[in-house]
Amino acid sequence: MIKGFAGRVLEVDLEARTAVFRPLDEAIARLYLGGKGYGTRLLYDLTPPGIDPLGPENPLIFATGPLNGSLAPQSNRFAVVCKSPLTGGIGSSACGGSFAFGMKKAGIDVLVVRGRSAGAVRLEIDGDADEVRFLDASDLWGLGTGAAQKALGKGMHHAVIGPGGENLVLYAGIVSDARIAGRCGVGAVMGSKRLKALSIQGTRKLDMEDEAGFKKYTQWVRQVFKGHPVLGEKLRRFGTMGIVNTTNGRNMIPTRNFQEGHHPDAMGLSGEYLEDHGLAGVRSSCLHCPVACGREVEVPGAGRVKGPEYETVGMMGTNLGVTDLEKVSHWNWMADELGLDTISLGVTLGFAMELQERGMLETGLRFGRAEGVAEMIEAIAHRRGLGDDLAQGTRRMSEKYGGKAFAMHVKGLELSAYDPRGSYAQGVEYATTNRGGCHVQGASMYFESTGPLTINPQNLKLKAELPVVQQNLACAVNSMVLCIFTTYGLIPRQVHALKPGGWTHRLARVIFENSGPAYRLIMGSKLLQVTWLDTWLSRITGLRFTPGHLQEIGARIFNLERMYNLREGLTGADDTLPERILREPLFKGMDSGHPLDQLLPRYYRIRGWDSHGVPLPETLRKLKVRT
Amino acid sequence: MTVTLELTYDMAKALGTRALQVEGARTVAEALRAARERFAGREGDFERMAGVAAIAVNGVLVAHRREGVRLADGDLVTFVKTAAGG
Repeated sequence: MIKGFAGRVLEVDLEARTAVFRPLDEAIARLYLGGKGYGTRLLYDLTPPGIDPLGPENPLIFATGPLNGSLAPQSNRFAVVCKSPLTGGIGSSACGGSFAFGMKKAGIDVLVVRGRSAGAVRLEIDGDADEVRFLDASDLWGLGTGAAQKALGKGMHHAVIGPGGENLVLYAGIVSDARIAGRCGVGAVMGSKRLKALSIQGTRKLDMEDEAGFKKYTQWVRQVFKGHPVLGEKLRRFGTMGIVNTTNGRNMIPTRNFQEGHHPDAMGLSGEYLEDHGLAGVRSSCLHCPVACGREVEVPGAGRVKGPEYETVGMMGTNLGVTDLEKVSHWNWMADELGLDTISLGVTLGFAMELQERGMLETGLRFGRAEGVAEMIEAIAHRRGLGDDLAQGTRRMSEKYGGKAFAMHVKGLELSAYDPRGSYAQGVEYATTNRGGCHVQGASMYFESTGPLTINPQNLKLKAELPVVQQNLACAVNSMVLCIFTTYGLIPRQVHALKPGGWTHRLARVIFENSGPAYRLIMGSKLLQVTWLDTWLSRITGLRFTPGHLQEIGARIFNLERMYNLREGLTGADDTLPERILREPLFKGMDSGHPLDQLLPRYYRIRGWDSHGVPLPETLRKLKVRT
Repeated sequence: MTVTLELTYDMAKALGTRALQVEGARTVAEALRAARERFAGREGDFERMAGVAAIAVNGVLVAHRREGVRLADGDLVTFVKTAAGG
């Protein structure tokens, strides 16, 4: 078995109440690593086309990778893979917390949950005794995610759902500690199995090829992170909310359901404001993470709880026209407790507000007003009244009530808090990402609009190449499994030190912007081990990795996801953006929106796909994607 | 002709206002001069705070604008700092 893997897959059948340990498939691990890659391969192999995402035949796959359990910074994440009830295509989500660490300590790389329990159930997995206990969870059913974890106690690592998952809200997530695998409705799939909680423990040790070398190298990386302007300073000091003033200043923070990109009072939702106004004083982090990007806030009635992320203050703040941080923090806490994805929730609420504004539906929700929002969040989680419709997500809402032109989703997954009209490559990424409109499957916006070396985000240069490279990298990162923020550290501090507008900054930007194919060649090079990503993998597994290998593995995973989507009935026609984004200008002097039609053909060519977005046989052959 | 100048968080904190209305500024440089004047006696602070930010007009960095540094009535000038979020 490759080092870094425990070598075991645990398959649980909730209907038959059986649990079987099987050996990890080493050939798959070599091709796809672990995490999202291994999970996608399993989903593809285990299921026939056309299954009901909320049926017992949809497997819920929890997958770790070779870096989990290694104590590498930002490596306590697991991937969840299944068919998404929200999109009907590939469902994947990732989560921090401590559950991934628990899985590896239990000697389990991948956990596959199949079937459906007759009643509410929870699982206890003891990796040392190789024992799986099926326990009645009726006393936990109905509890919030925090309360449920508290009831489960401190001895084990937990992953739970809240009422949102129990009631099959299509954008319900799975919570570990204070973190959530929010996207794609993975929590609804867990709820459909009547599985309330997973608890896991073990004392096994991760077997590494070069443990001493890994430790020494990791010590150095920790120092790099500590002194890094983003990982050691900005994210650490302000959390992800530290980006609010940047996206607002760049006219790309979703405002009033993406009708605008700027809110004059957005500063009140920023990380700087949070730091200054005593709502927080404590950082929070996933297990062993030196960055600690999380914040704790004081919420009336709840005490000190996990604070909102940028995505939450974007989608449930400015997107609703609300800039009261206390209100948004309260809604965030509610969503976390109920186990709901705040991105999809915020977009769906924003859509309901616009329906109200246009007189298309009486929702009782209005832009700029907090009244009714908390009640609606509760109604969604418990599927009461209009909440039952909102629980279906924006796409289904628009199919029922109209407003498709301003239903802000791609493939059924609601857009994140970066308006792509201010970030063209991000728009291509939203349109083509297999799980739908999501920002962390590449994060191109960092190179266009928010990072230290931003190319012009509103021309066509590098806008097809960048998403390909970034999506491949993200696929690999999600299969190790690491946090995407690890990649932010790859831009050296010297680049951050360049004076904005200075000649060196301009020169670097122009070179980057015009690098085109050379950029892909450099990123795809297998000559040298360059980054901590490939170095960590090499020292743990004993196999040789370079940035080029990561690009290749990432492309393999991305193409397999694509094949899965095609198999499930999605087509190239789904690689699009909401009509509002394509047609409505957001910036002064623009006469339309995002120029996706000018970029998509080039993106397809770079991917090795035909003009309909279908991977060519030679592309699949070259990447060893077996379908 | 009026343009709005939106400040960085640090500047806003120092001046006690998030935004300034500037009359008659035809270029970005003139708008920045108006902001600098508000920091009278603390020019060093202004330079330090402004030095770490790029300038955008209506959300577009000056370096990327077809109009370069010229301003029109109703324009919004913002200081934009590098950041990373999720």
